[in-house]
Amino acid sequence: MSKNVSAPLLRTARLLDLVPFLNTHQGIALKDLAAHFDVTPTQMSADLMTLWMCGLPGYTPLELMDLEFESGFVTIRNAPTLAKPRTITFQEGVALLLGLDLVAASIPENRIDLLTSVQSLRERLTRILGVPVRLSVVAAASGAVWTTISQAVTAHSGLEIHYHSLYKDQISQRSVMPVDLYDSNGHQYMRAFCFTANDYREFRVDRITSATSAAVPADLSAESTNPEKIRFRITVNNRSRDVAERFAISDMALETEIELSSYSRQWIERSVMASGATVTLNSPVEIRSELAKRAQLMLNRYKGA
Amino acid sequence: MPTVSRKIERLINLTIALLATKRYLTKSEIFRTVEGYEGSAETKERMFERDKEDLRSLGITIDVGSFDPLFNDEAGYRIRSESYQLDLGDITPTEMSLLSLAADAWQGAAFAEQAQSAILKLSSIGVPADPIDIPGFSPKLSNSSKDLETISGAIGGSDYLIFDYLSPSLLSERREVIPIALSNKSGFWYVSGVDKAVQEVRTFRLDRVQGAITVLKNKEDFEFPTDFELDQTDASSAIRFAIIDVRKGKGHAIRALATSVTDLGEWDQIKVPIYTIEYLTAQILWHGDDVFVHEPVDLRENVVQQLEALVVNHE
Repeated sequence: MSKNVSAPLLRTARLLDLVPFLNTHQGIALKDLAAHFDVTPTQMSADLMTLWMCGLPGYTPLELMDLEFESGFVTIRNAPTLAKPRTITFQEGVALLLGLDLVAASIPENRIDLLTSVQSLRERLTRILGVPVRLSVVAAASGAVWTTISQAVTAHSGLEIHYHSLYKDQISQRSVMPVDLYDSNGHQYMRAFCFTANDYREFRVDRITSATSAAVPADLSAESTNPEKIRFRITVNNRSRDVAERFAISDMALETEIELSSYSRQWIERSVMASGATVTLNSPVEIRSELAKRAQLMLNRYKGA
Repeated sequence: MPTVSRKIERLINLTIALLATKRYLTKSEIFRTVEGYEGSAETKERMFERDKEDLRSLGITIDVGSFDPLFNDEAGYRIRSESYQLDLGDITPTEMSLLSLAADAWQGAAFAEQAQSAILKLSSIGVPADPIDIPGFSPKLSNSSKDLETISGAIGGSDYLIFDYLSPSLLSERREVIPIALSNKSGFWYVSGVDKAVQEVRTFRLDRVQGAITVLKNKEDFEFPTDFELDQTDASSAIRFAIIDVRKGKGHAIRALATSVTDLGEWDQIKVPIYTIEYLTAQILWHGDDVFVHEPVDLRENVVQQLEALVVNHE
């Protein structure tokens, strides 16, 4: 239901949906019915009272719906016209289709039965929507990795992972004890104690290339060290969306020095390098001169080759 | 409150009457037989117009047709049960459970309400969900934008979305697009649609939209492009390829783009599809001296130019 639908209309929708539900749940307790529709029992009684006055033209007892709810249990008779559930709206269909995509990504490959069911549901829902809309959610992590790590979080058991560190350009093997999973800026992260680093680390789930459960020492006694942030200053030479997004600069002024900070020197070096002519790193001086040297060496190779 | 209840009663009675009829009902028949239409002719008329709008906003389609072409032209109304009723065929308990999981993925996110109202309707089918075992399953559609509702509404009606979009050179550009696809990849939402200015399908990242998206009703017929595929990172849609050397054990991010790999000993030679020269240049520079580009010439020249600027800027 769209959010801008008014309260009386929401109630109308609820009443229309109550009839088919009661048809398949005859004798349901009033309080359970209220809970299912997320309203108070008093509101539900009022809803049923209203419904009781409705029916086919003529509105004699023969045409009115026959509702019984005084006993605290609800039954309905004589409501064939509204007996079937209402069809889903376009937005409801979109919500289910996108959700199903994500469900499909989490189903282990050997559950062909489930994957077939998802596919069949997708086709039937798309038919109801009536337009060939394309909808897709690509899950960030593979189903197998996600399954293994989320099980390890629940069971408090260790993991052996391969992790792609983008800044170091390395795939490292680590043994970790997961702490929890969380979302940040649209990415999922696993917080874990890393025995390889002997400290707490955060791993982006989509960069965990494989995960297997493994025994790890029970001792997580290491003190978490707080690495020092590196402050750096850049000047942006021309307007670039890529640079704004890479350095998370919301308000970009040209030819003005901007101060930023990062935990990773490699990230600073690579980000400035990738920005090419667009960004000048002013400080720290040692990173600046290192960059100039590296760019010159690369250039020599292109000139000499 | 009583008047509110009266209105709700009238809407339900109207729905029942229009659903039950086998032929179109004229307005005068409706006013005569459906309970709740009272007052002057003008009042009834106004009530009925509003009621029709209200039912439509609940997603109920009212057919308008001729009551009896032989005798008069008076318009008649009915609701077809095929369009009113949910037709998902037979639902199994497992399918019911999969649909519930799909709805749960929206918890706390943009379509949470829509997903739950869909599940409420589905629960009326009376098929209990059969709990299925997907180990550790807890998918979430996080980072969802409030624009998703607007966009999906426009997809349904083939209406225009009008918004300001941040160009690669950080200029805010007005776009008018009939959306045909909605997708989420690597934590970002994308909308694809036919861009009015170029009459071709373009894809936009939602976090690059500046300010609010407005919807403009499209009154013309719209044909959904049939040749559009969502996965445009599919290498088959790239026209050109680059030949790049990558040091063994390095360049993992650029290797992920490769369509083929040749072993050169200390280095590997990979073939990478080119979507834009700028994007690939940034990828190559990111990897420093672990990556060396051979061809095409324009890509190589662009890399060299950027390196020259880097040397000059940092001297």
